[in-house]
Amino acid sequence: MEAPEVSIELYVLLSAILFIMGAMGVLLRRNAILIFMSVELMLNAANLALAAFARQWGNGDGHVMVFFVMTVAAAEVAVGLALIVAIFRTKKSIDIDDLHLFKG
Amino acid sequence: MELTLFIIIGAVAIVAAAMMLISENAIYSALFLILNFACIAFFFLMLNAAFVAMVQIAVYAGAIMVLFLFVIMLLGAERVKPEAQPRFPWLTPMAIVLALIFLATTSVAIVKGEIDLTQPKVDEPMVRVVNAVDGVSAVDVYLDETQIADRVEFGAATSFEEWNTGRYEARVFRAGADPEADTPLAEYTVNLVPNAALSLTVVGTAQETEVVAVTEDLGQISDKDMLRIVAVNALHGRTAIDVVNDTDAGNKRVLIDNLPYGAASKVTEIEQATYNIGVYPTGNLRTRLLGMDGENLEAHTSVLWIFTEQYQTDNSYTVVTINLKTDTKPSFGSPTHVGQLLFSRYVLPFELVSLLLLVAMIGAIVLTHETLAPRRRFVRRLATLPTQVEQPVPGKTGD
Repeated sequence: MEAPEVSIELYVLLSAILFIMGAMGVLLRRNAILIFMSVELMLNAANLALAAFARQWGNGDGHVMVFFVMTVAAAEVAVGLALIVAIFRTKKSIDIDDLHLFKG
Repeated sequence: MELTLFIIIGAVAIVAAAMMLISENAIYSALFLILNFACIAFFFLMLNAAFVAMVQIAVYAGAIMVLFLFVIMLLGAERVKPEAQPRFPWLTPMAIVLALIFLATTSVAIVKGEIDLTQPKVDEPMVRVVNAVDGVSAVDVYLDETQIADRVEFGAATSFEEWNTGRYEARVFRAGADPEADTPLAEYTVNLVPNAALSLTVVGTAQETEVVAVTEDLGQISDKDMLRIVAVNALHGRTAIDVVNDTDAGNKRVLIDNLPYGAASKVTEIEQATYNIGVYPTGNLRTRLLGMDGENLEAHTSVLWIFTEQYQTDNSYTVVTINLKTDTKPSFGSPTHVGQLLFSRYVLPFELVSLLLLVAMIGAIVLTHETLAPRRRFVRRLATLPTQVEQPVPGKTGD
């Protein structure tokens, strides 16, 4: 395999930036659906790093890992959106600041 | 060129992620996220992960985001009500500070961290045994003290097995012989190097047995309709041979030139087609020693031909070709490559993930089922009734 022009450091840095943006979304946004989308963004950033390392070592295991992460993300989205729908039915809102059951 | 593309697409990905975060409307957020996923799919393509890129587009940007948009529209939840006072006012600066610290840490780790990123993956060498020796019905082969072939019949081969690198003493015995007491038919010193695919071919007769180590190249073939051939000359006449492409009788092309007895040819790449292959003594295109007509050779295989002779009951020898085809490694990141990994090393995780998906399906049904929510409230009310303190909070808007 010839030496790739874009080094792995750049991919990992981009992946870290996207991951941080996803984490900020989870912390700062109040819309539950947007929080879910931010989680998806974080998963994708991790996938990007996995694929970059897979190429670096010429090892297909990273691709299989990406595939598994995607499958788990699909399962997570199904359950998460079902939860949001259930919450919306009882609270008529998906603002997570309205969901403070434990404070009474 | 590649770097320019990386910077442009990377900038688009970051801007799309930022727009996703700051859009007030959830629909816009979802659309920006799709753009971000498309950029990441592009990066997967740049990283030679073709299969993953296609799955990213189809599953992530397609199926999952459609689900998101569907739920947003179903609930009419494009935007949450603006609230005057956020409940945790300290959270925003805190999150920004933490994010900057994390980014600085990763940057330092990437730039200063002395991680060895140069080591490419090395495949273990692979060994198999081919029996092409006449007059011995079956052979056992030992590498040092370990048996790698048990009763291999004439014309048969064991499958490739991974072996540790190093030097080994290969010893060939008649099938069932005692490796401690009996004298071997042949001995050979094997040197196993990484990435090698070695066929230990036992040739000759029961009196004069030899081991020919044939190195095959099972690496990826970049050209889409090429295959590799290797030939071994084990004809008892001990003449050097030419292997000739006879497909066009008027224009015979020599594929392998002047192959002496007991030697393996170099690896030759040819195009996939149906060939008539003829074997001739070197320089004599009239005496066809043997031929394989209508031989269909498929791309992305490594073909090993061993030309040998077999003793017949009427005191004569027939010329036989042992024809062994092995698939070469699929190219990195291709669907074949990922599929092979999924169905060999990762079968158990794959099953577990399938189970997880099943559980998620059932979970989604249970969570959103109409009749299950009121029953839960009913149970909670029963629990609080005797004390008569206050009505439970979650039930107040449920009707």
